[in-house]
Amino acid sequence: MNPAAGLDLQSIPDRIQSEVQRAIQRSIKGVEYISSSGPLLGSTPKDILHVRGTMNLYHYRPISDEIYRVPILIVMATTNRGYILDMVPGQSFIEFLLRRGYDVYMLDWTAPKPEEKSLRMEDYVLDFIPDCVSRVQRDSGETDVTVIGYCFGGVLSLLYGSIFADGPMKNLICFTTPVDFREMKLFQNFSDKRYFDVDRLIDSVGNVPPEMILSSFEMLRPASRAASQVQLWENIWNDEYVKSYRMFDRWATDTLPLAGEYFRSITKDLMWDNKLYTDTMSVGGRPADISRITVPILHAVAEHDHIVPYDAAKPLIQKIGSADKEEVILKGGHVSLVAGANAIKRLWPKLDSWLGGRST
Amino acid sequence: MADNSNDPVALWQNMIGEMEKGFNSFANKAMESPEFSKVVNQVGGATAGAQKQLGDLMEKYLVGMNLPSRAQMVSMAERLQSIEGQLNEIKALLYQVHQNSGAPGGGPAAAPKPPRTKRPPSPGGEQK
Repeated sequence: MNPAAGLDLQSIPDRIQSEVQRAIQRSIKGVEYISSSGPLLGSTPKDILHVRGTMNLYHYRPISDEIYRVPILIVMATTNRGYILDMVPGQSFIEFLLRRGYDVYMLDWTAPKPEEKSLRMEDYVLDFIPDCVSRVQRDSGETDVTVIGYCFGGVLSLLYGSIFADGPMKNLICFTTPVDFREMKLFQNFSDKRYFDVDRLIDSVGNVPPEMILSSFEMLRPASRAASQVQLWENIWNDEYVKSYRMFDRWATDTLPLAGEYFRSITKDLMWDNKLYTDTMSVGGRPADISRITVPILHAVAEHDHIVPYDAAKPLIQKIGSADKEEVILKGGHVSLVAGANAIKRLWPKLDSWLGGRST
Repeated sequence: MADNSNDPVALWQNMIGEMEKGFNSFANKAMESPEFSKVVNQVGGATAGAQKQLGDLMEKYLVGMNLPSRAQMVSMAERLQSIEGQLNEIKALLYQVHQNSGAPGGGPAAAPKPPRTKRPPSPGGEQK
């Protein structure tokens, strides 16, 4: 070792050999990458209980000999596909829940068709979610249901829970759910009331195209896509890295369009008027004040969430009416909070320890 | 812990990471300005309007050329989606019929449901 330079001279030939091998592997694997498809995602066995337009209700087949009494209904964000929670065996939140003895249902979304551009917030909160809840009740034979909402699925769950405060929701779990939309500073600026003519946009395009949703997410971190591609090339010799990259990249770019009227309401009521935070939100004329929710609630937020910053999510626990409430701040970002190696170590065990005792 | 201060690969990776953070932070600052919002929305609004007009013109042109337009292709895709949807509904109905009949040998959908008797593990106890 050369102490002055801090360099181990003897290791240089080994290092050069290793880098040459990696360069060769990159060329071989690079060709493989282009010519092959990614891993099969969302493959946990499930039955489709109901399909209606953009709404899909799945029931995952239990794999435990004994399950908890209270079933879980996961409400997915309307911008993205639910398979983020069911990536591949060993990295699937759904599989984790099934192995821990939960009975799991998911409300997932497909792209709204052009004629569904008139779907409003009311359709999601007063029709789709209650319809799924009653189907879960019927299928499971249980009255109580635990609701888990991810990102905007959490907002929809909060609106549902505040309007149907008398039940049947028994527990509520939100992942990275915004309440104070003023704190989503970049989205606020993108949709600045003075310059963003939401009426003109919706009247001309109908449903908001997925490319627009994707670019608004990517604009939050404009250098990250290019940097991730450089990192992919560097690590293309590493099968595990490539598998993980393909899973997350496919999901991130598989963005859904948003129904026009629904987007108009999100922009006006939440982004502009911040009605959820100011307790003035209503859906279909029914007040949706989250202080009316009194069921046990767990809110998991990510320390480095660039989509829903902590300040936007923080007021949820402060404003909710529940006595049994907990917020956990975990390391990670908006997606790594719920999926991937980070989630396996942190969020999933936490959720299981919180929910198990409340599911009997 | 290994000292990576002289490892050119580690230095390169570190540089990429730092450049990404720096550029993101710089761009985010620029995007917080009202001027950015104004420009983006002017361009975006104009683009959306222009795209709509261009789409309408192209539709007329394709009709004139006796070629299927995008709207017709989308409509065909929707019909396929609708057929898929109906197949899913049939699957869902079949699932319910199996559930209701409780017939043995009906495949995994007809398997008896496990009892809802699970209790959480006792503190320090093993997960069941």
